[in-house]
Amino acid sequence: MILLEPNSYVLEETLLARFTSEKPEIVDITLVDFDNVVYHVQTSAEQRNLLNLSVEMKYFNEVVEYGAQDILKREYGDYLVPTANPQYQITLQFNLEQLPADKAALAKHVSMLKRNMLASSFIRAFEYWESQQEGAGPLMTTHYRDNEAIYVQAQQDRVTVIFSTLFKEEVDRVLGKVFLQEFVDARRQVSIQNAPQVLYSSREPPLEIRHLSNLRQDESVGYVSFVLFPRHFADMESREKTISQIQLFRDYLHYHIKCAKAYMHSRMRLRVQEFLKVINRAKPDRVTAASDKRTATGRYMRPHLRQPTSPQHVESDW
Amino acid sequence: MSNTLRPYLNAVRSTLTAAMCLENFASQIVEKHNVPEVEAGNTKEVLLNPLIVSRNENEQVLIESSINSVRVSIRIKQADDIERILAHKFTRFLMMRAENFVILRRVPIKGYDISFLVTNFHTEQMFKHKLVDFIIEFMEEVDKEISEMKLSINARARIVAESYLSQFV
Repeated sequence: MILLEPNSYVLEETLLARFTSEKPEIVDITLVDFDNVVYHVQTSAEQRNLLNLSVEMKYFNEVVEYGAQDILKREYGDYLVPTANPQYQITLQFNLEQLPADKAALAKHVSMLKRNMLASSFIRAFEYWESQQEGAGPLMTTHYRDNEAIYVQAQQDRVTVIFSTLFKEEVDRVLGKVFLQEFVDARRQVSIQNAPQVLYSSREPPLEIRHLSNLRQDESVGYVSFVLFPRHFADMESREKTISQIQLFRDYLHYHIKCAKAYMHSRMRLRVQEFLKVINRAKPDRVTAASDKRTATGRYMRPHLRQPTSPQHVESDW
Repeated sequence: MSNTLRPYLNAVRSTLTAAMCLENFASQIVEKHNVPEVEAGNTKEVLLNPLIVSRNENEQVLIESSINSVRVSIRIKQADDIERILAHKFTRFLMMRAENFVILRRVPIKGYDISFLVTNFHTEQMFKHKLVDFIIEFMEEVDKEISEMKLSINARARIVAESYLSQFV
């Protein structure tokens, strides 16, 4: 579980269950994905065999500028509903009686929807590189979360991807720094020297985006730039792979920061138990075998309650 | 164990053993009250001189003793941001469970990371030498734990970075 999947597993599961079920049931499910994307799976009110999938995506208007609509038509054209449901940006409709034979593949394909939408600016950048124009291409910004954005810019010989990411608390910020430093250093290893170059700066935005006005400049924000070389996007196969992986960078980073914190927490629990054992050693044993001794009549022996039998006492009895 | 840690811990151990010479002492100011004098600080004549055992400026133990109670405060080594966070989290974690650790104080003394308060009732009910053992073991383990956690975070970060980047190859 080190790496994350580019598709939404829960969406795939949900869709596949509906696609393969014997008789169409009425469903109304809301699912969430990374980057505040919300999926709403709902059976049509009039016809039970129609399944609607509505997607709420905050940054949809931005990716449309980079050709997301074309991707949407190309990938999901058969199911696309021209006008999306209110408050959602995309609506797909599936007729459960007329599905293609390979339902699993369709479910998988639909679960990649968010990935395909976010890919649009990357594809645009790669196409720009292919056209071999002079100078740098346009800087494409996708605000995939509030206050966090991906910037993609094509140059003549490379494509630069810059993530701005926000660390909400102090602990995250410090851990994030450690993790990002390792990303920068990891490339020194021989085995992964072909990986894209990673640059990291906290608070100071990199040169490519420094001219933008609404950038945050404080301790909580970090900028990570990936420099993709032609070998990462020269052929179609590696291009798709690169897009899937690079998109998940922020989720991957934050996921592992959370994991590190969880691990620390479980370690502390263990250590506290150890300490408790040590302090309990200081308490003398109150429950000993002697206190459980019984007399012949079945009473408990209580040595400290017994009356002292002194010789004078015996004499006075006489 | 490094060669400066051993004498440091020995000094703390013998000072603590000497300081834990406690007896019951009711308050002279309020009738029928019996409070740890080191906390109350109202009766000057039963307070002893506080004492600092110091390994360096980042690692110190402050031992304040009085007739019926001893307060031990420990400053834990914090070299960088990570160690600071780990030490803070760890001591907070312990102090939230202070009622299980009978002698742990819920809030540390200002300038220190964690404080213990041993009263005469504790030394009457528990073995004194074991209490000293606990504090010494705590000091040893806390440093070890923090450096281990730091190492494990670094190791995790390296694995995470490598496995992410090796996908691109």
